[in-house]
Amino acid sequence: MLKTIAPVVAGSALIAAALAVPARAEDKPILLGINTALQLQVGRDTLDGVRMAVEEINAKGGLIGRKLEVVTADEGESPKEGVAAVNKLTGDNNVNVLIGGYDSGVTLAELPHISRAQTIFLGTGSASPAIQQKVKDDYANYKYLFRVNPINSAKQAASLMDFIKGKLKGDLGYSKISILGENAKWVQDMVPYLKRNATEAGLEVPFAEFFDPQTADFSPIFAKVKDSGSQYLLIILSHAASDVFVKQWYDAKVPVPIGGIDVKSQDADFFKRVGGKAISEVTTNFVLRQPITEKSIPWWDAFVKKYNRAPVYSAAGAYDAVYVYADAVTRAKTTDADPVIKELEKTDYVSPRGRVKFDALHEVQDGPGNVNVIYVQWQNDGDRAVVWPKEVASGKMIDPPWMMKN
Amino acid sequence: MLDIIIYGAVISAVYALLAVGFTLIFGVARILNLAHGAFYALGAYCVYTLTANLHVPLVIAAVIAVLLVALFGIAMERVLVRPLRRLPPLAVLMMTLAVGLMVEQILLLIFGSEARNVPSLVESSFNFGGVLLSGQRLLAFFCSVAILGGLWLFMQHTRLGAAILAVSQDPEGARYMGIPSDRIFSIVMGLSAAIAAAAGVLVAPFQSVIPGMGLLPLVKAFAIVIVGGLGSIPGSIVGALLLGYTETIVAFKASIEWSQIVSVAAVLIVLIIRPAGFFGKRAAF
Repeated sequence: MLKTIAPVVAGSALIAAALAVPARAEDKPILLGINTALQLQVGRDTLDGVRMAVEEINAKGGLIGRKLEVVTADEGESPKEGVAAVNKLTGDNNVNVLIGGYDSGVTLAELPHISRAQTIFLGTGSASPAIQQKVKDDYANYKYLFRVNPINSAKQAASLMDFIKGKLKGDLGYSKISILGENAKWVQDMVPYLKRNATEAGLEVPFAEFFDPQTADFSPIFAKVKDSGSQYLLIILSHAASDVFVKQWYDAKVPVPIGGIDVKSQDADFFKRVGGKAISEVTTNFVLRQPITEKSIPWWDAFVKKYNRAPVYSAAGAYDAVYVYADAVTRAKTTDADPVIKELEKTDYVSPRGRVKFDALHEVQDGPGNVNVIYVQWQNDGDRAVVWPKEVASGKMIDPPWMMKN
Repeated sequence: MLDIIIYGAVISAVYALLAVGFTLIFGVARILNLAHGAFYALGAYCVYTLTANLHVPLVIAAVIAVLLVALFGIAMERVLVRPLRRLPPLAVLMMTLAVGLMVEQILLLIFGSEARNVPSLVESSFNFGGVLLSGQRLLAFFCSVAILGGLWLFMQHTRLGAAILAVSQDPEGARYMGIPSDRIFSIVMGLSAAIAAAAGVLVAPFQSVIPGMGLLPLVKAFAIVIVGGLGSIPGSIVGALLLGYTETIVAFKASIEWSQIVSVAAVLIVLIIRPAGFFGKRAAF
C-alpha cells in the first residue's frame, strides 16, 4: 500500500514546489530585533516603547508597504548573554535592525558581532562614549551604530557640573559637596572629572570615593560624609543596589541630601519599591510629563493609558528609535543597511524628549532644543518635580524630611 | 571610634546568626549546606509576600516566614537530602547547591529581578554619642543576640539540645543510646533554616530583597565558619566578630571598596596557617 502511495505523494510534492511562488522581500515584514535586559524595568519599557511605535506605524499601513514585527532576545546584564542575544537576532531571526542595549559593558562586547552581521543598531540604554567612538575609529565596520538614547556619560558628566555649579552652588549656596560613585568604568572616568571641576568652580570636595556594586552596608560611607561636613552628596549609581543605598540613607537620617545619577531611581515605581524612602533624592532623567516638546505630554499620557504605568526613560528612547528608523527607511525606500545609514545620518526628528539629531559619531546631540538631561526630585507621595535646568523646572527643590526647617 | 564599635557590633551579630545555622547542620549532620543562602532569601521574600500581597501585620508575617522556611528546611532534608546520605558526601553537596539555585530561579520567575521592599519594624533612628543608627539595625542586633542566647540555652538545658549535641559528637553512639538521629537531622535542618530566615527577615528592610540575595550571606557564612572552625558554634561567633569588625575597620579607616576582600583574605590566611579554623578539631577538607 505504502509503496503505491509513495510515488504519488512525491510527484504531488514536486508539482507543488514547482508551482509555489517564492515570498518576495517586499511582502515580508520588517523585523525589529530588541536586545536588552528584559528582566529589568528599563528593558521591559524598551520593549513596550517599541511596541507602541510599531502599533502606531502598522495602524497607518506600515513602512514602505510592509508591516513591522518585533522579535526579542534577553541580553541580561552579562556580555555572554548579550552576544548570544545579538547572534540569535541577526543569525536566526535575520532582523533588519537592532534596537536596545542597557549595560555598556554588554553593548561593547556585542559590537564586533553587530558589525559582522552588518545590521543597524540603535542604542537606547548604554551610555559609554567608547561605543560611539568606534564609528570614528573604524567607520567602515562600525557605521551601523547609532545612539538614540541616552546622552553619553561624558556629556552627562558635563551636565552634572552644570547642576553642581548652577543649582547646588548658585541657587542653594552650597560650598562643600561629597562625591560617591560605584566602581564601574564609566564612573571611574566621571568622578575625577567632577572633583577637579567642582574644585575649580570654588567648591570644596572633602570626600570622593568609589564602592563595589555588591556593597550591602553603606553606614561607613554615610558616617564619613556626615563627618566631612558636606552639604550635599553627589551620587553616581547604575548597577549598584540603589534601593539599599536609599533605604539606609533614609533610615539613618543622614543629614546630607543626595542626588545625581541613580539609574534605578529613574524607574517610575522606584519610590514605591523603597517604601517612600527616596524622598528628596534627585536623579537625572530624560523624559517626564513635562512640555519638553509638543509631543511629550500626549506621548506620556498615551503610554500610561496603554500600559497602566508611567514610562521609564528607555521607553521614550526606544519609541523614538522606531520612528527615527522608520523615517530613514521611508526616505531611503529600502531596508538595505547602507542607504538607511545615509538617511539616519540626516535625521532631524522632534521626539517627546526633544529634537533627535546625530553628530559625526552617530551620537544623539544634546544642547538647547535637543535631547537633554533633566534633574528630577522625588517629592511627597511619590510625585516628581523637575528642579533643574531652570528653563524646564516645574517645582522647588525640597530637603529630606529630617532636615526641613520649620 | 564609637561608630566602628557600634556598626561593627551590628554587622557581627547578623554574621553570627548566618554562620551559626550554617555550622550547626554541618556539626550535626556533616552537611555542607549550600542552600543556606536560599533560606535567608526565602525568609525575606516570605515577609515581602505576606506584608505586600496578603497585608498580614509585619510582626506576624515575620514569625510566619520563619516557621515556613523552617518547614521548607525540614522537607528538604527529609525528601531531597536523606535519600542521598548513603552516597558520597559530594552528592548531598550537589543537591544543596541545586536547591539553592532552584530557589533563586523560582524567586526570579515569580518576583522578577527588581528589588522588593520590606518595611522596617522600627522606623525611628537613634543617636549614640553622635553615631546615627536606624531602629531596624538596632532591632537586628538585639534579636540576633537574643536568638544566639536562646540557641545556647536550648542546646545546654533541654533534652532535645542534649540529643543534638550527642548526635554531633558521635552519631553511631547516640543511635545505640536510642536517639533517633534521622529525626535529629531533620530538626537541626529546620532550626538552621529558621535561623537563616530570621536573619533574612531582620535585615530585609535595610538590604536588597532580590532573587540573588542569598549568595553573599552564604559566602560570608562560609568564610566565618572556615575561620572559626566548621561545626563549632563558639568558633562561628568568634569568626563573625573577627570578620565583622575587620570589615568595619577597613571600611572606616581605608575604603569601603577594600572591605569586601577581607572575608576572602581571612579564608586564605586561615586555610594556610590553621586549616581546621580557630575552634575546629580537625580540618574539614
